[in-house]
Amino acid sequence: MNLKLLHHATDVPPSGWQLLPMRFHRFDGNSILLTNLVGEHLFVSQDQFLAVMDGTCTDQELLARLRARHLIQRPGDRLPAELLAVKLKTRLRHLTDSTGLHIFVVTLRCEHTCRYCQVSRQSSARSEFDMTRETASRALALAFRSPSPHLKLEFQGGEPLLNFPIVKWIVQEAKRINLDYGKDLAFVIATNLALIDDEILRFCNEENIDISTSLDGPPDLHNNNRRRPGQDSWQKAVAGIRQVQEKLGPGRVSALMTTTEASLDRAHDIIDTYAELGLRNIFLRPISPYGFALRRRGGAGYEVERWLKFYETGLDYIIDLNRGGLPMVESYAAIISRKMFSNKDPGYVDLTSPAGIGLGALVYNYDGDIYASDEGRMLAEMRDDTFRLGNLASSSYEDVMLNEKLLQPLTDSFTLSAPMCESCAFEPYCGADPVFHHATAGDFLGHKSTSAFCRRNMGIFKILLRRIRDNKFAQDLFWRWGQG
Amino acid sequence: MPGMPQDLEAAEIGFDKGTTELDALQRAVYAVADLMTVDIKTSDAEYICTLFPHHPEESHDTLKHRIRAEVIDQTLRLRIAKETEPIRNLIFALAFSETGLVGGEEAGE
Repeated sequence: MNLKLLHHATDVPPSGWQLLPMRFHRFDGNSILLTNLVGEHLFVSQDQFLAVMDGTCTDQELLARLRARHLIQRPGDRLPAELLAVKLKTRLRHLTDSTGLHIFVVTLRCEHTCRYCQVSRQSSARSEFDMTRETASRALALAFRSPSPHLKLEFQGGEPLLNFPIVKWIVQEAKRINLDYGKDLAFVIATNLALIDDEILRFCNEENIDISTSLDGPPDLHNNNRRRPGQDSWQKAVAGIRQVQEKLGPGRVSALMTTTEASLDRAHDIIDTYAELGLRNIFLRPISPYGFALRRRGGAGYEVERWLKFYETGLDYIIDLNRGGLPMVESYAAIISRKMFSNKDPGYVDLTSPAGIGLGALVYNYDGDIYASDEGRMLAEMRDDTFRLGNLASSSYEDVMLNEKLLQPLTDSFTLSAPMCESCAFEPYCGADPVFHHATAGDFLGHKSTSAFCRRNMGIFKILLRRIRDNKFAQDLFWRWGQG
Repeated sequence: MPGMPQDLEAAEIGFDKGTTELDALQRAVYAVADLMTVDIKTSDAEYICTLFPHHPEESHDTLKHRIRAEVIDQTLRLRIAKETEPIRNLIFALAFSETGLVGGEEAGE
């Protein structure tokens, strides 16, 4: 009896609720997705949705679920607004901690000639394309001006191991400077691993440097994409991965793949290659539309829909591997799961609003030029310097961070005010990408009804949400990924 | 202009001014821009929309259905936005208080 009384005490009479800020998307069939201000979601039927909208709903269980998701509240309630505010504040907390990622392009030299390379690599002998100590020193001074208590310095190229002396110098100098700052410092070398040796490994071990490499899948696929003299890029990469795992530890090396036309039918092969190497994370990435990749990709281009099919096949395979007991994570799904199931923003530069350019990452080119993102640097390879924020020889931190070339794209692309984005049910999971839209549509915002960025990300959100709705194992798996 | 579709036969559809907000109609037109461009004119009682399809394979009925559905959804979105505006402002005000994001304010104050 008591239980019944309590139950009735929580009943909401018809028209006895107020809507909280929410967005909706007609999902599939009769299913409508509702999301609240911070991305918590609920699926309802069309009839249920309309009954809630017009105040006629009498389904107490549905009303309770809507209240639990902060989609409606009873008049006079204060807690939902306060909880939503706390969650929103937590999600936006990273904004006060810009900029966390600092990319040092220590050389343009490379001994690979990858088909999809985004930069104008130079031959291995041309040291005029190397970063000097003077430039590196200025880059460090600027990086340490960032308010972020966490600084990650990433070394890129070209092939950064071709200018390893400057990598060593930057690491040691950064640690010396940090004695005054006390920031949480991390280092990553993005390398193809072809040149890794014992001395480099020893240094990485001593200085706690992580390794990020490229692995496109099985040998034939990888070596066709990533060409070098001897056609042994895969063999070198795999040998390097094993060396790093052995000498630095299994968690110290990660790999990224790029999906080319030839990859589209081989999702299982690619994932199996990672699993066999003990790599527990795989990032299923589409080919970049920037720089030399765009100019040269020729037959490597493909439609968003074909890539989504590849992604869906790969994700389902990863879910099956997990179901069979092999823990494996798809990195992009994990980033989105974090946005769906936690209030901590993963800080992923390509999927955040305000956009991650400048605020999430800064790039220091070998010649001292400063870019708002790595993709901005790639555009500069095509003689488009829209995202060049200055040069280390002449630009101060204030010049860079208050530059209109940074502020304008941030403002124009902000999703909470952008047409279609502001009312999109997927907005809490998505982000602004002014570089992509500048490159593909000619302005920082793009038109969302024709944007490939929008089609790709909405496609991925739907793939994930459909599994969350229909597949309990996948729902639990994504929830775990979302907890980081 | 190179790359533009050939002129295709336009369709026409009217929306009652008494039940349709111009804002919702304009938002709907923006959202269907992948399928068609739309010219909006007004009469005493209606917004008269001329639909110019991008692709010959889309029938006039399909285009009309699509824009009607979009107008209904945009009308609902505007209604939700209007009803929830005060509480949305309150939530944002609470969220941005004491963050240091507002000028002159120290984080954690």
